[in-house]
Amino acid sequence: MTTPPAPARPRAGRPNRAGAAVAASGWLALAATLLPDGSVLRWPPVLLFVCLGPGLALLHPQPRGLRPGARLESFALAAPLSLALAALTATFLFLIGGFSVPAFLLPLAAFTTVAALLPGLPLPAATRGAVEPEGAESFLSRERAPGGGR
Amino acid sequence: MSEGAVPARPAAPDREDGGRPPAARPARPADPALTWLPPALLVLGLGLWGISLPLVDFRSMDDYGLLDRLPVPFYASLAVLTAGFLVALRRAGTAPGWPLVYCVGLLVALKAAPAVLYDSVRYPWASKHDAVVNTLLGAGELRPHAALSGNMSAYDQWPGFFTLNAALVRAFGVESTAVYLNWAPIVLGLILLPVLVLLYRTFTEDWRLVWTAVWIFQLANWVGQDYLAPQGLAYVLHLTVLAVVLRHFVRPGSAGRLRDRTALDPAAATVPPATSTRQRAVGVLVLSPLILAVNAVHQLTPVMLCVVLAALCLTRRYRNLGLLAVTGLIMLAWDLTMGRPLFLETLGTLKESLGRLTQNSRAGYTGQLTGPGPELAGKAGIAMALAVVLFAGIAVLARRRLTRSALPLLLASAAPLPLFAVNDYGGEMLFRVYLFGLPGAAFFAAAALLPAAGAARRSRGALVRRRVTAVALPAVLLVLTAGFLPAYYGKDAMYYTPPAESALVTRAIDRMPAGGLLLATSGSFPEALHRYDEVEHWWFCEQEIPENERMLADPARYLADRIPRGVTAHVVLTRTQDVYTAGEGLLPPGGFALLRERLAASPLFETVEETPYGIVLAYTPSTTTAGGAS
Repeated sequence: MTTPPAPARPRAGRPNRAGAAVAASGWLALAATLLPDGSVLRWPPVLLFVCLGPGLALLHPQPRGLRPGARLESFALAAPLSLALAALTATFLFLIGGFSVPAFLLPLAAFTTVAALLPGLPLPAATRGAVEPEGAESFLSRERAPGGGR
Repeated sequence: MSEGAVPARPAAPDREDGGRPPAARPARPADPALTWLPPALLVLGLGLWGISLPLVDFRSMDDYGLLDRLPVPFYASLAVLTAGFLVALRRAGTAPGWPLVYCVGLLVALKAAPAVLYDSVRYPWASKHDAVVNTLLGAGELRPHAALSGNMSAYDQWPGFFTLNAALVRAFGVESTAVYLNWAPIVLGLILLPVLVLLYRTFTEDWRLVWTAVWIFQLANWVGQDYLAPQGLAYVLHLTVLAVVLRHFVRPGSAGRLRDRTALDPAAATVPPATSTRQRAVGVLVLSPLILAVNAVHQLTPVMLCVVLAALCLTRRYRNLGLLAVTGLIMLAWDLTMGRPLFLETLGTLKESLGRLTQNSRAGYTGQLTGPGPELAGKAGIAMALAVVLFAGIAVLARRRLTRSALPLLLASAAPLPLFAVNDYGGEMLFRVYLFGLPGAAFFAAAALLPAAGAARRSRGALVRRRVTAVALPAVLLVLTAGFLPAYYGKDAMYYTPPAESALVTRAIDRMPAGGLLLATSGSFPEALHRYDEVEHWWFCEQEIPENERMLADPARYLADRIPRGVTAHVVLTRTQDVYTAGEGLLPPGGFALLRERLAASPLFETVEETPYGIVLAYTPSTTTAGGAS
């Protein structure tokens, strides 16, 4: 059943489209707030960004790709991390009496953009911990190219 | 599961962390005849749910809340979803997406009905949180030391959830959280689901066990702590911290035989790889914002987190004193700065409540649940809790190898139990301890209902066990579903408040001058805390029952003697208060009507407004009345 470890999937030169999308999501959310009050079009970009954006940017990309188990982890942690950062940002702004929508979304969007450009947080399982048995499929593992990651 | 089921845990390869022998029998391909069933049953289940909603006459709810207003297709949809889940579970190893979709479907089917149907806020106390957000937006700043009536300043002392919602209200461009408030159980449930999967996946490689545990967790989560409230978000953050700790904070050399496949339960996962001191230090840094957010959001959850981390330190695997110290320090720092007023007050009362075990473990405020719906809800809730704990206990004893490897999860779930001895947390400690114990309890309950996929298949005992569980699993899931419904919906006559009642209360409070005093039997009615930063309030039935009986003898005199002199005081009595005080046993049967009648007839009170939803009375002291101070 043993197989030699597959070589790391080459990532250099491949544009990190997911990272760019995550980075853009903050600015999109900020732009959506320019729509008039009550517009339902404001909801999806704001909700998705606040709930997922900063967390996804922090956890991705991992330098050598993600193992299936670690992929589950990086998605499961994205929303709690994002909401934690959003709650702390909003609390800080209300503490100093400086809350406004741009004051809330702009730092989060900037943080997300910078984080998306950097490698993901060095959680040990991201690269080696959560090895799953061969053949076992995570429900998040199907998008993965065969042989990638380690 | 039956013999035809494909083991969800496939044959094992060699692993860098210990490896294990291949399973006794190679995996058989899935039965192709079954592949169409999961999508078909899902569509049928959700379709039935969808067509049932217009048939729900929630406005006429009576003794049994929403329970007897839910039509047959609603119940049928839950049965169909359960059947579909069980079919999907047979192929959880090869098609793990379907159990996930079913778990999301169950979440929607169980909890989305009020969000779709109700034209007002579910849970009157959720409107309190809406009021906090509105007040925060009005003030534009936090005032943790404002010393508002009824400890309302506590919401500014642990404000993270409210500041987040204030930001969302403005960013969405809506008037208040009332627009999306009823959807909170769904959003929080969706965020929690992958965290639970992660937690369970740390201790088992059997996907069937993972999804069954998630399913049981959802059914047993009837406690209603996932509405738009700080504890719902804090709970998700708490479990996230726990999951990260369990996966990344294993100390080197501590796993022992827990990496030896032959010593493990066939369904168990081996201990995650050990991490170096440096890696764990980085882990603490990564966790710090999450821990800080738990503290910013809620006052009780950080205590639970510290207790759970301390319990984990009892194992060699997770003896991370540094993490425990950092968590404790963050909590202490928050409590001594932002949360200082309530923290010191709680410390002062701690000596009194310490050790009053029976008092602290009571549910609700003071009275006994009264009326068919609330009584059934109470009994169903207790039966559900006992059933889950019973099954969990069976697995803990019968699958000792799994218990040994998943001991940290067991410890983390049992750790909050001693908090009963500390404080009753406004009568809610029972619910909180249950909720924090639920992830572990659901995991072990699922383990009791699922035989290990890789167990010796030819032994007679194993065969009998498999046959018993093939019947027991669907039966138990259906019984838990049947228990969830009264526990969650049995008291909805208290929870649903018609918009006209909210409007009456809002008008009443808007009439009052700043510094006025609002009187009501309890705080459980819509808009009770509207303008709470300007208007004081007194919930005069939220006290011991004998005192309420004394009050009922002459309510006008009782209240008049306690209203401070010179204060504009209005009494608001609404339909929801009537239902609540009767259901929670704060007033005897007919007590609320008597109270209303006597106050309206008293010369000390003048009727300001009366509608079918309630009455507003103004206190009109005569010059001869000696108004006492409360």
